[in-house]
Amino acid sequence: MKDLTSWAIISITLTFLIGPFIIIIFAGASAGEALAFPPDGLSLKWYLKVFTIESFRQSFILSMGLAIFGTLAALLLGVPAAYALNRYDLPGAETIRTIVASPIIVPGIIVGLALLRYLVIPTGFTVTLALFLAHTALVLPYAVRVVSSSLNNLRSDMEEAAVLLGCTRLQAFTKVVLPNIQGGVLAAFILGFVTSFNQVPVSLFLSGPGVKTLPIDMLAYMEITYDPSVAALSALLAFMSLAIVFVAERLLGFSRYV
Amino acid sequence: MFSSTREGLALALPAAIFALLLFILPVGILLSEAFQSDDGWTLKGYIDFFSKPLNQKVFLRTLKLGVLVAGTAAIIGYAAAFSITNLSPKARGRVFGLVILPLMISPVARTYAWIVILGRTGIVNDTIVGLGLSDTPIRLLFTETAVFLGLLQLFMPLMIISLLSAMENIPRDVIPAARVLGANWFQVFFKVILPLTKEGLVVGGTLVFTGALTAYITPAILGGSKVLMLETLLYQRVNVANDFVSASVIAMILIVMSFTANLLLKRIATARK
Repeated sequence: MKDLTSWAIISITLTFLIGPFIIIIFAGASAGEALAFPPDGLSLKWYLKVFTIESFRQSFILSMGLAIFGTLAALLLGVPAAYALNRYDLPGAETIRTIVASPIIVPGIIVGLALLRYLVIPTGFTVTLALFLAHTALVLPYAVRVVSSSLNNLRSDMEEAAVLLGCTRLQAFTKVVLPNIQGGVLAAFILGFVTSFNQVPVSLFLSGPGVKTLPIDMLAYMEITYDPSVAALSALLAFMSLAIVFVAERLLGFSRYV
Repeated sequence: MFSSTREGLALALPAAIFALLLFILPVGILLSEAFQSDDGWTLKGYIDFFSKPLNQKVFLRTLKLGVLVAGTAAIIGYAAAFSITNLSPKARGRVFGLVILPLMISPVARTYAWIVILGRTGIVNDTIVGLGLSDTPIRLLFTETAVFLGLLQLFMPLMIISLLSAMENIPRDVIPAARVLGANWFQVFFKVILPLTKEGLVVGGTLVFTGALTAYITPAILGGSKVLMLETLLYQRVNVANDFVSASVIAMILIVMSFTANLLLKRIATARK
């Protein structure tokens, strides 16, 4: 009886959480012209049409580039910071931690607007560069947090032993620390990638002619057209994210880090 | 622990300086903008903002939806998280995977689904018209209900995750013990489960409330200009009217609301001890 109630509650909750996603998959597979569920017959034409829309292709490439290079840059800044915050007795460590974590606290739309007003306009930076910097800042807190938690699980006497045995500090890091936290670094990369790729508010104001991230482009497209192609594209993107997370989970037990 | 402070700072400072220059500085300037006028400091921007009925309405609506979404997510979240802890470890892992799965899917995709559900020719309206409950489709999109449902669906996983990790720390035999000693389920919940999971509730509540407050996509797609929230209002003020003072005021409101929610929930949690 108790089990039955539990399963009933879980099924209802999961239907609410996952149901809309299943509806999107089928709405995108419609053979008709208008967005509907149940769809007017099944076909893959909208799924195929997505690939022929030029602006989606461009914005997909931009979003991919931002997600990959923004996250790499965030790791380049974040891994040393996480290491220093974990292993050194720093003055003002709490302040540094707060500053680095701040992008998570402030709503993205404000960040985007602030960067547009005080970075792009006065300095003449391109929107693409501003987007890259904004996405890096956005991913930085995740990079520091995830890498920190995997450094916490690594005893520091291993590096001290390596140094005593003749390694330089750098060698101790690359030969002892890095191989031990690579799971955490990879998890941080995936989390950062997904966060950046799906990000909307930060990029809302940071767009220009021909420079739009994919989610922003989708928002613009659905304002003019009411056909199932956005549903199809949404479903495709969801599958992409799920595939990445699934592989990550299989390889390194990703959910431990999230 | 290494002792060379210089080395440590050299490693940590690039990230901090980056966040400071690209983040705290621009956002700080933006926030200060509403306080500036030609003749020194002023609160005029704030007074003007709050004297407009539309702005008051949007502010109260945002607050209301934030509280409603967080409250509903907490109620459903408790039921769901508690049910999940009753499962076998294997089933628990699978269900947990399904709960966090939506978090990996683009919010645009997740919100777009509600158009298919609530639109004029959507599932709900087809059913209503099909059953003869109404001759014409009812307007469900661009209503507060639509925004509420979208936000709830978007942020509920965060509440369930927070509550689950809190519930895992409850010793397994505490609840049967309370039952044996004569507590009814109502008492078990309020005297045992709630006090032991309040930290999870604080974390989940803050995440859901601030998430709902600062969501852009959901109110934009499901609310449109009929159901403005603070984020969509900010976008509109900037895009339509180049009104950066209002933008600065809204930014401050959003940040203050997020912090207050966090402090308030923490206060409530410690007061119940």
